[in-house]
Amino acid sequence: MNVTFKVRRYDPSNNGKGEHQSYSIDVDGDTTVLDALTQIRDEQDGTLAFRGSCRSGFCGDCSMRVNGKAKWTCRMTVGKAEKDGEISLEPPRLVTVVKDLIYDQETFMFDKYKAVKPWIEPSGPVPEGEYLVPQESIRDIQRAMSCTLCGLCDEGCTVLVVDKTFLGPAALTKAYRVMADPRDGKMGRRLRDLSQKRGMWDCVHCFEATEHCPKGIDPTDLIFAMRDEAIKRGIGPPRVVRHHDSFAASVKSSGWLDEARLVIETEGFLNPVGLARLLPTALRAMARRKAPIPYLHSKRKGADKIKRIFKKWEATKK
Amino acid sequence: MKYAFYPGCVSRGGCPELYPAAVKVLAKLEIELVELTDVGCTGAGVLSREVSDPINARTLAKAEEMGLPIMTICSTCQGCLMQANHRLKKDPAYREQINRDYLAEEGLEYKGTTDVKHFLWVLEEDYGLDKLKEMVVNPLNDLKVAPFYGCYLRRPPEVVVPKGKESRKKALESTISALGGEVIAIKGKGKCCGFPILIPNERNSLEMCGNHTLEAKDKGADAIVTPCPLCHLELDGNQPRAAAQKGRKIDLPILHLPQLVGLALGFTPKEMQMQRHIISTGTVEAKARPKATVQS
Repeated sequence: MNVTFKVRRYDPSNNGKGEHQSYSIDVDGDTTVLDALTQIRDEQDGTLAFRGSCRSGFCGDCSMRVNGKAKWTCRMTVGKAEKDGEISLEPPRLVTVVKDLIYDQETFMFDKYKAVKPWIEPSGPVPEGEYLVPQESIRDIQRAMSCTLCGLCDEGCTVLVVDKTFLGPAALTKAYRVMADPRDGKMGRRLRDLSQKRGMWDCVHCFEATEHCPKGIDPTDLIFAMRDEAIKRGIGPPRVVRHHDSFAASVKSSGWLDEARLVIETEGFLNPVGLARLLPTALRAMARRKAPIPYLHSKRKGADKIKRIFKKWEATKK
Repeated sequence: MKYAFYPGCVSRGGCPELYPAAVKVLAKLEIELVELTDVGCTGAGVLSREVSDPINARTLAKAEEMGLPIMTICSTCQGCLMQANHRLKKDPAYREQINRDYLAEEGLEYKGTTDVKHFLWVLEEDYGLDKLKEMVVNPLNDLKVAPFYGCYLRRPPEVVVPKGKESRKKALESTISALGGEVIAIKGKGKCCGFPILIPNERNSLEMCGNHTLEAKDKGADAIVTPCPLCHLELDGNQPRAAAQKGRKIDLPILHLPQLVGLALGFTPKEMQMQRHIISTGTVEAKARPKATVQS
């Protein structure tokens, strides 16, 4: 089949201006997009720059946007990708481009990767020989271990769009992989580090990362697990911890959420500055009768049953 | 058509306009509801799954006893209940453990047969948009509406959009069209509204709210419609602060899905409690006002 590839070009020597360049090529529909691109470079334009290492769906080095959606190009065939005989190829959205489809991985991912200290730090003495991990622990961290740092989860992340300094799901996945390893002894410190600004509490748990991950790792699930562990240990930004504790206390005592209590307790009763910040929103809500006066929060009918579930769960944590 | 109705905390708390509006619309459509009154909050992604899964299993078991599917009117309730249901259905050993440790004492057992559906999906899949069209007495022909789903009606895909249910990805657009309105496509329709990070990172949260509302406004929308009251809290309640951060006037009305349906079914904006929104819905009310009919 004859397909036109519209490739985003970027040449730093040409004032950094980017433009699309079209290449026509005759290939089988079963050819991968990456192989077709390689053929274009070999036969038509040796200056075309892109990455692609294993070419067999393992390393994730060939990530780029195919018709606007980030994909591994070695896993996608031309026949599936083409739309009306055309395929557009661009670098991911949130990166600094070096040349054509090659981008700066250092700032996009590696700096954040380093920030989560992606190595095991044992707290006690290390055995001289092999340091074995029990099978059941391996099962838990295997998902996170299969991450190749292709960056597609970061590419899909909703938060990075508004704030490039957010750690992002790729680095947080690595953080999980290390702290869930029984050989690591620094879970408390790691959770405190991840609770700093731009860390795991900035995740909106929108499941975009889960949808984008080609390895089925489910980074959102891992972030939830780390946040649960932090809350259990009372670790987190103070307002986040108060928000959680108030949420849990109101469901535990009444079966459902007492929103007025949640808002006030999150700021803290003894925090006049925080409470004052709420005032404009509260006044607007009262003026529109969105916040009813007087405010009453009654127990749900099954509240005692919900409380029993809470108590049983709390007993398992002791 | 009959459902075990799970209205959720926010429809009577932070968005007290949603519950009465939804109940009126559902009654008009003759969709019968048996409200689940003695069940707990879903956990909303705030509580650990270790405790929210048993609470949700209890809700699912209650509906199972009634022999009814659950209907929600909140994307977040829908997502949390549905994800818990997914875990409980696919892993019988896990379900067994929750039954034994948490539900047995109350004489309950969840067998894994309950389905959970958001009002949007009930309209599109069970009620049918053709039938809805027939019920429209006040087509919203002059209204340009941007859809905004809320994350949990979009993802994770294997839970939310199983095989054969692909029309869910466009259900909001299809519903707006069925009501006579014009769909304004926005890129942010399936993205996060920003509400979940209002506490840890207000700046990022308001940035998201500002981006979505401004995108809809700049594309000419009269309103955004959402099936999620938490998105409503953010896009409506926090819009004034987002506008201040963005340095731009926004003033874009945000409607709950049942309110949009209600206007087309002939309810007044007051009956749909639209006066309780933070952002005035005046422009929507003017454009959705029933046309004077010529008497022959």
